Amino acid sequence: MSAGNVNGSIVPTQGARGGSKPTPALHCLAVKPIPPVIAKELIQRNHYLHSLPGGTMLCFGIFLGERLLGAVTLGAGPYQAYHLVGGAEREDCLVLTRLWLSDELPWNAESRVIGIITRLIRHHTDVKFLISYADPAAGHVGTIYQSAGWLYTGLSSVMALYDLGDGIARHSRSVAHDYGSHSIEYLGNRGVTVNLVAQSAKHRYIRFLDETWRCRLSVPILPYPKIEVVE
Amino acid sequence: MNIVELNLEKLRESPWNSNEMDNAMLHRLRTSIKKYGLLGNLVVRPVGNDCYEVLSGNHRLRVLKEMGVSPIQCVIVEMDDANAGLLAQALNHVHGEEDLGLRAATIRKVLASISPEEVLSVLPDTAIGLKSLTSLGKQSPEEYLTHWQQEQPARLKHLQFQLTSSQLEVVEAALNQLLPKAKTGQFNNPNPRSIALFLLCKAFIEKEG
Repeated sequence: MSAGNVNGSIVPTQGARGGSKPTPALHCLAVKPIPPVIAKELIQRNHYLHSLPGGTMLCFGIFLGERLLGAVTLGAGPYQAYHLVGGAEREDCLVLTRLWLSDELPWNAESRVIGIITRLIRHHTDVKFLISYADPAAGHVGTIYQSAGWLYTGLSSVMALYDLGDGIARHSRSVAHDYGSHSIEYLGNRGVTVNLVAQSAKHRYIRFLDETWRCRLSVPILPYPKIEVVE
Repeated sequence: MNIVELNLEKLRESPWNSNEMDNAMLHRLRTSIKKYGLLGNLVVRPVGNDCYEVLSGNHRLRVLKEMGVSPIQCVIVEMDDANAGLLAQALNHVHGEEDLGLRAATIRKVLASISPEEVLSVLPDTAIGLKSLTSLGKQSPEEYLTHWQQEQPARLKHLQFQLTSSQLEVVEAALNQLLPKAKTGQFNNPNPRSIALFLLCKAFIEKEG
């Protein structure tokens, strides 16, 4: 059985990119698939959002020996996220939806894990590009994506959350699921009060697994944001 | 620490115990006590008339009563209601979080010697959950992704519509007319209503030219 670990083919690749030599702990890390139910438990317990989004397609665990010290999930992500690339279909794109690694792991473990997963998906699937988001509201600018060479495409537009008068902020998709529409006019005409709760836009990064698709990117590539600008 | 053996009739369940256990979990507790014995002392406090209130072990007490096991080894503590409540909460809620990888490794070792049925008679897992746990880390990522990629063409696409009741009636009526044809044709889709919608759209496109 082979695992997506950092020995073997990974180390020379990193050396060729001029990255630092992995520490012994990084050498021992292994990325292996885990059942969604296990990923959900880990993410709900440890990730700052405490939820696993719908549409999750792939779940990986980060193992140090027999210990499970992290989880990464990929899925469909936001509605029509794949439209960022001209002519792309849904199956051409995966969105890195959750990433949690234990604080016990070295600081550069996140970049290593993302590098391993990127390489695995590129070699073993037909997915053309990956998208990920960093939440400025949580103090994130996407440093790990920057160090892994992902392209920065600016702040994503985000829909406000819906408070239907009970103080609970819901995603518009949840409202559409319950009422058949998230149109404020439609809901208002039926006596449903909607208070919009603004969400902060997220830093959006893209990584092309098939470089021939890069020319299809429909938005400009921007300089990486710096952590100092986050308040 | 004051550890004494107390007869069952002197022990009372605490009426304010917030930790509840359903019948399935009580059955597991019973199985565990029968298999391994009572390995942890109950924690009790005197409440007068030579009786004791259980602060920790209310469910064990229930099971031991059913089994007629007496006397029971108990730790006696003397404290007021507030501290008794706090201690009970602490005993129920202060615990670590499991490393699921290490748990999976332990369960795999257990299953090498003990049948899944016996394991499930003691642990609160389901058979599917146990299988999922023991499979943890066993599949290679290459095999996992290759399989996922091969499955992609077989995944049917989703399309959702939101309709008013009267609009839905019209759509349903149209689909119902096409259902017999949808059920008999070869369309590589197991959902007859989806096929009916496809046939409706195809007919419309052909008509409109």
